[in-house]
Amino acid sequence: MAKIFKTKLTAATIVLIPACIGINYLGKLFASLLKLPLWLDSIGTCIGACLGGPIIGGLCGAVNNIVFGLTTGDNITLIYALTSLGIGIAVGIMARCGFMKSFPKAMLTAVVGGTAAVCISTPLNIMFWGGTTGNVWGDALFAITQAKGMSVGMGSFLDELVVDVPDKLLTLIIVYLILKGLPQKLTSLYDVNAEIERLD
Amino acid sequence: MKSISLYKDKGTWLNLMHPYTKLLYIVAAISIPLIGGKLWLFGVLIAASLVLLASGKVLRSAVPLVAFSATLIIVIFLIQGLFNHANAEALFSVGPLTFYKEGVLFACRLGLNILNMLLSFAVFVLTTSPQELVDEMEKNGFSPKFGYIINSVFQILPQMMMTKDTITDAQRSRGLETEGSLGVRMKAFIPLISPVVMSSLVNTRERAIALEVRGFGRKNKKTWLEDRPKHKGDRVIGVILVLLVVLTIAGRVLGWL
Repeated sequence: MAKIFKTKLTAATIVLIPACIGINYLGKLFASLLKLPLWLDSIGTCIGACLGGPIIGGLCGAVNNIVFGLTTGDNITLIYALTSLGIGIAVGIMARCGFMKSFPKAMLTAVVGGTAAVCISTPLNIMFWGGTTGNVWGDALFAITQAKGMSVGMGSFLDELVVDVPDKLLTLIIVYLILKGLPQKLTSLYDVNAEIERLD
Repeated sequence: MKSISLYKDKGTWLNLMHPYTKLLYIVAAISIPLIGGKLWLFGVLIAASLVLLASGKVLRSAVPLVAFSATLIIVIFLIQGLFNHANAEALFSVGPLTFYKEGVLFACRLGLNILNMLLSFAVFVLTTSPQELVDEMEKNGFSPKFGYIINSVFQILPQMMMTKDTITDAQRSRGLETEGSLGVRMKAFIPLISPVVMSSLVNTRERAIALEVRGFGRKNKKTWLEDRPKHKGDRVIGVILVLLVVLTIAGRVLGWL
């Protein structure tokens, strides 16, 4: 079990984190450029988690939100550092358990990551915005559940669920395709089980 | 190259102030109304942030930040005003929709809280260079490795933006459609993002080697390039802010508020 959390804090992993944060930003940028109704801002976090393990994944997520919260003035993101942390850790654990090896397994990872995001975001949404998320589709659903008299918690949970799970599914599809295409000389840098052989 | 940070050096007193003092202001500005629990406290703190922004000559740069949150605040007003469970007393109606007093009050509280948070953060974000904050944290024992992570985000992002522009142009010139129905736009996402992601991941390898060669992993004590002059007001302002928070807590406990 200890191997799941094993992390090498070498220059290679340190450099991976800013690159992943950049990828998160790009995903969000393309999603808004193409006017997609999803966030797609955790592609980098998931790549970091798959390559570096849960600790690096969680770090990618948390640092991502803290950096953007403190520099771009979008401090709403700052609160969701907890969510990103959760996604990174959940996906990292799944990846270390071998759930990124085939496409169906990667989809299972996506569901786990999405559920982690929903469970952490829902209380935050209720605490800060009374249950809304800021996503058009999710908030429309929230309005319907509130009009029907459902409790705020349940409505907010559904609101988050219909956005987060498809979002993570698409994210993990992209991550899976990218990881398949990475050259081995790069992925071997992050392999925790690798052993250096000495020839002397 | 365009930086993602909104910081601009205008040479005002807010630029010269220590980053920690400004962080303390954020903490105070957010916690005072929440502890005090009165609606007018939000108003006072929002006004204070606006005055600070104006004195730092950054009031205009704060407008897009507030505009960004406007949709969220409007959605909160609509949903809470129309459907909040505590709704009983009708306030006004627009066509077939009736807004209720309880929901609108609740939405006011949430909306003011968001505005207050945004503006107090704006005071910090618009006047502090991220590099300076990281340097100051490192001087207080923050790990230089993590400092590097944060600083290098600001170097990597402009590079990635340039790669992104090149790749978007290249894919468009090959006939990739990026506009149209949702399906078309979804399909365009993968060919646009995967080359950028791939190349930036491949670049990390070279970056790591370059860092190792320059002694990144060494444990020696590091020195700083810039020495920041101490601002006299830092301590005074810090003490006043802490006193205000303590006063609010006392006020709440003793029941003046």
